[in-house]
Amino acid sequence: MPNRMKLTVSHAPFWHDGSSITSKQYNIIAATLIAVIAGLIQYGIPALAALTLSVGSAMAWEFIMNLIMRRPVSIGDGNAALIGLLLGMLLPAATPWWVVITGTLVAVVIGKQIYGGIGGNPFNPVVVAYAIILVSWPLYLDFNAALVDFSFDFPAAYPLVLYKSYGTGALESFTMADLLLGNQAGGIGATFGLGLIIGGIYLILRGFIRWEIPVAFLAGMFITALAFSLYNPEIYAGPGFHILTGYTLIGAFFLAPEDSSSPVHFIPMLIYGALGGFLTVMIRNLGAHVDGVIYAILIMNLVHPLIDKIRPKAMGRVMHHA
Amino acid sequence: MIKRPFFGIAKPKLTYDSIEDVRAEPVSVKPKQRVTLFIDVPFKRAGKALIKTGDSVIPGQRLQLLEGEPAGYTVSPVAGKISEISPFIGMMEKQMTAVVIDVEQDGEEVAADPAFKEVSDKPTLEGAIRFLSTIPGKPDLSQFAESGKSVKTIVILGADRDLMTVTTQYVIKTGIASVKTGIDILRKITGVQNIVLTVAQSQVQAAGSAAAGVRSVANRYPAAHPEMILRNLLYEQIEQGGVCFLSAEAVAALGEAFNNGRIPLEKIITTVKKDGTRQLVSAPVGTHISEILDAVGEKIEPGDRLIAGGPMTGAALYSLEHPVEPDTDALIVQGADIIVEGKDSPCTNCGECVRICPVNVPVNELIRYMDAGEYELAAERAALFSCIECGLCAYVCESRIPIFQFIRLAKHAVKRMNAAEEANA
Repeated sequence: MPNRMKLTVSHAPFWHDGSSITSKQYNIIAATLIAVIAGLIQYGIPALAALTLSVGSAMAWEFIMNLIMRRPVSIGDGNAALIGLLLGMLLPAATPWWVVITGTLVAVVIGKQIYGGIGGNPFNPVVVAYAIILVSWPLYLDFNAALVDFSFDFPAAYPLVLYKSYGTGALESFTMADLLLGNQAGGIGATFGLGLIIGGIYLILRGFIRWEIPVAFLAGMFITALAFSLYNPEIYAGPGFHILTGYTLIGAFFLAPEDSSSPVHFIPMLIYGALGGFLTVMIRNLGAHVDGVIYAILIMNLVHPLIDKIRPKAMGRVMHHA
Repeated sequence: MIKRPFFGIAKPKLTYDSIEDVRAEPVSVKPKQRVTLFIDVPFKRAGKALIKTGDSVIPGQRLQLLEGEPAGYTVSPVAGKISEISPFIGMMEKQMTAVVIDVEQDGEEVAADPAFKEVSDKPTLEGAIRFLSTIPGKPDLSQFAESGKSVKTIVILGADRDLMTVTTQYVIKTGIASVKTGIDILRKITGVQNIVLTVAQSQVQAAGSAAAGVRSVANRYPAAHPEMILRNLLYEQIEQGGVCFLSAEAVAALGEAFNNGRIPLEKIITTVKKDGTRQLVSAPVGTHISEILDAVGEKIEPGDRLIAGGPMTGAALYSLEHPVEPDTDALIVQGADIIVEGKDSPCTNCGECVRICPVNVPVNELIRYMDAGEYELAAERAALFSCIECGLCAYVCESRIPIFQFIRLAKHAVKRMNAAEEANA
């Protein structure tokens, strides 16, 4: 009698290293936590409200889009939560609720779902959303205006605005240690530099982000800022200031290395990161905008498919074998 | 199953296993009820069949399916009666014919078919092609006879191609004398003098007496793939062209065949049980998988996965009645609990596949062309045909896309399109 036992049948390979989209997203969320907790301690309940609203509404938009587009429900993979969390980390603690919800709508729907969901987005959804709400309601995202009701035990002015308006002379009240430890005004999760660096190193060591991109981003920034400050230290701040203020660290470790909108080959990753860092400093020093990270990443997202064409030639096929 | 290491900054390293880790003595399995043999030609009801159900066969008897198609044959390993001849579809629509033979056990040893004995006294290429195409290792000797194709170098693959498998290493360890005889005969019948034997690093000593150029292959998968050997060890031969690969087991069987005047049909198989322990088995080609599993004491539950071949490049079986084929080096049983299933999530462009690909195929681009059904563009722009089919991309894929299957499908589709165009031209 033929044996009719049902066996599992699939194509090779029959091993898998166990990695998954979900575990990567949750690990990135975990890596943000140090910076997020520092932000919550700094700004208290309003920050918690903004972050939870951001995460929750991003997941809700994802769910609604899943239903509308008749796709499998994908809120479990953690990507929508991560998008919401990263957007929340960029915002001032006192952002109005409707700005947050509009932001996550733009991120999840326009930034990601209309391209077919995870993996299809040409731009980092968080960066797209932030750029759009920044040009729509600049006042709500102006840290000096938004954080006016908070009292801090450090200078409450946003360092990059001071720098833009008054040059390096206005920055004497900031020490590098203060900036690194988050004693500066800024986004909920974007100011505690030490936490972002620890989180980023964790992600690099675990292989969840490619080390080439953040390292090249910071190196590009360092070299460009150094060149500027050597040229005229009266006007242009040094590389340390640029790296520890604004969205540099969250951009380098959490926004620029987003999988779908960044290159995968070795040299293109270095170019992508370095040009991103270069553009950031150019925008900060010469451009009209206060912080260049968002626009620099958007521009690099735009050109990444072209950069990624720089790749080693595939080994030729030898036709002649058994 | 080798999981992703906790610190994932470096690429995962998959290394070949050594014969030293496995109890060396193979368990011998004799088919008790029936054997199934595959013939590499499509089953046709027309055409004059040379074998039919009810025919009696003896061990070593050459069974040619159709008159005028000498390439379509197999060799019976047992004495018995043909009980069924039916079409069989293999991987990628490969059309074959399955011949089932009911084993007759009268207790008496039936003498082997003497037809090959006469040929073996005077080794010729024609004789080898006529009788030895289905010996263990499945040597494709017909490529030496093809006109317009001049083989200058023969590479004997003495290192196992896939992980977990130690079959070829066993042949090198215990049968190096037969390999040497096989090499001498190959030189005689093909006229090719340049023969290279590639072996695992640990077996260079053992292979030293084989009278061929011995090269060692690296321990890291997929160094033992023929294309990787060409690239890493034989770059000077690529320009000359004309490299032909044969497995060490086939060469050893070839040597044995001409030494003893019998067609060797005992295949060595590495079996891997659910608990990961390995056992070598020696069984005639055609033996059903169920009998081998009985012999090593493994029970199959519904939902388990049975794999003929290694974990990276093997083929999953859907029936316990599937036979051992001449090139089945391993038989792996995976419990339902460790199977990682593929998904239909899209590619997230994480680039793991690109960084692990040994031949620099831009897999992330390739998968996008293939997803859109643009197989010809995939071949033109994303190096589809550079793929050596090692399976590493699908092993590391975070979205768990069955990339390897996708690639095979795309290659198959392109080849079929090209064939159709040629036919209509």
